[in-house]
Amino acid sequence: MARDDRPLSPDLQIYRPQLTSVLSITHRLTGIALSIGSPLLVCWLIAAAAGPATYATLHGFLASWLGLLLLLGWTFSFFFHLCNGIRHLFWDAGYGFDLQTIYASGWAVVAISIGLTLSAWVISVGMKG
Amino acid sequence: MIIKSSDQLPGVTLLKRFPVPRNFGVSPSSRIERGKIWPAPAGATRTRKFEIYRYDPESGKNPRIDTYEIDLDTCGPMVLDALIKIKDEIDSTLTFRRSCREGVCGSCSMNIDGTNWLACTRFIADTAEPATIYPLNHLRVVKDLVPDLTHLYAQYALIEPWLKTDQTAPERERLQSPEEAEALNGEDGKGPAACILCFCCTSGCPSHWWNGNRFLGPAVLLQAWRWLADSRDDATGERLDNLEDPFRLYRCHTILNCTRTCPKGLNPGKAIASIKKMIAERRS
Repeated sequence: MARDDRPLSPDLQIYRPQLTSVLSITHRLTGIALSIGSPLLVCWLIAAAAGPATYATLHGFLASWLGLLLLLGWTFSFFFHLCNGIRHLFWDAGYGFDLQTIYASGWAVVAISIGLTLSAWVISVGMKG
Repeated sequence: MIIKSSDQLPGVTLLKRFPVPRNFGVSPSSRIERGKIWPAPAGATRTRKFEIYRYDPESGKNPRIDTYEIDLDTCGPMVLDALIKIKDEIDSTLTFRRSCREGVCGSCSMNIDGTNWLACTRFIADTAEPATIYPLNHLRVVKDLVPDLTHLYAQYALIEPWLKTDQTAPERERLQSPEEAEALNGEDGKGPAACILCFCCTSGCPSHWWNGNRFLGPAVLLQAWRWLADSRDDATGERLDNLEDPFRLYRCHTILNCTRTCPKGLNPGKAIASIKKMIAERRS
């Protein structure tokens, strides 16, 4: 039986960050960000229903640099979680476990989620005119 | 960069470790302190520093990091050679496990430069300057680089790693077709039967760090798959019942540090997915 008076060897403090673990923790963090972000989306809808004055207040916040930063984080979280979620679906079906495929799909998720985030912002800023 | 096999070293190093304080979340008795520095002998031209985790249970002191400077001109090529040289010539109190010195026995698994590998199959030339050497992660340390594997062996025993069959014992060996044997050996010799139980994967698995008391971890689950995939074994249903548990099997979140670190190039991540799939197919 392991004796608790012995020191525990270090783990997170020394283990090398790798694409495998970094994308896994990012998946969790973006999931948390999305959970926090969805009540904000509800607030936005409530404000839109409540009338022009309330909406203007909320819009003022969202158009500030802090609001825009939160929206940028939220859109990236959305696209990353979506793409990596699809990667997880393939794994659940038993595909993509070659180390080479794990790395290729991982980098693809990074590239595609950044690309989708940028596209979404370019399109929405363009629509705003 | 794309990693093609587990023996490939990371090409670019942004961070050698996660940006957390060195003693982040560490209990007072596990905190690591600065240790002694053993300089290279005078006249040594090619030297390499090794920062090695030391813990002496009889000293009553905390673990420490000792730094040894090795003369590479009088040292063998592998990390294990350097450890043996330190023990023979510099500091005989350094304690580590080793046996076969050719990657077959799985004794000298340890954390080298932040990932788990066998000291006997890692070239010194492939280590960083300074090379950092720690025991396998998140285990109670018996002494220096020797972790207590009792719990991991108990988890291995839990999956009942022996042949269970309903048939009467045959006169000679239980035969398999080449295809049936390939399920165990793999077409490239890297099937689950090639596991040497060095526990590099399990001790590199974050899920096992946080839930190791109940999650079985990649090494043991790879062995569980080895018996599920065996054509001679008749206890598949019983074995799956034993594994179908929120913690034992399903604490695997497909992080895949296991497949990245396996010094034998095996694929515990895929084996665990195969078990999950087998359970899903049994339900439908």
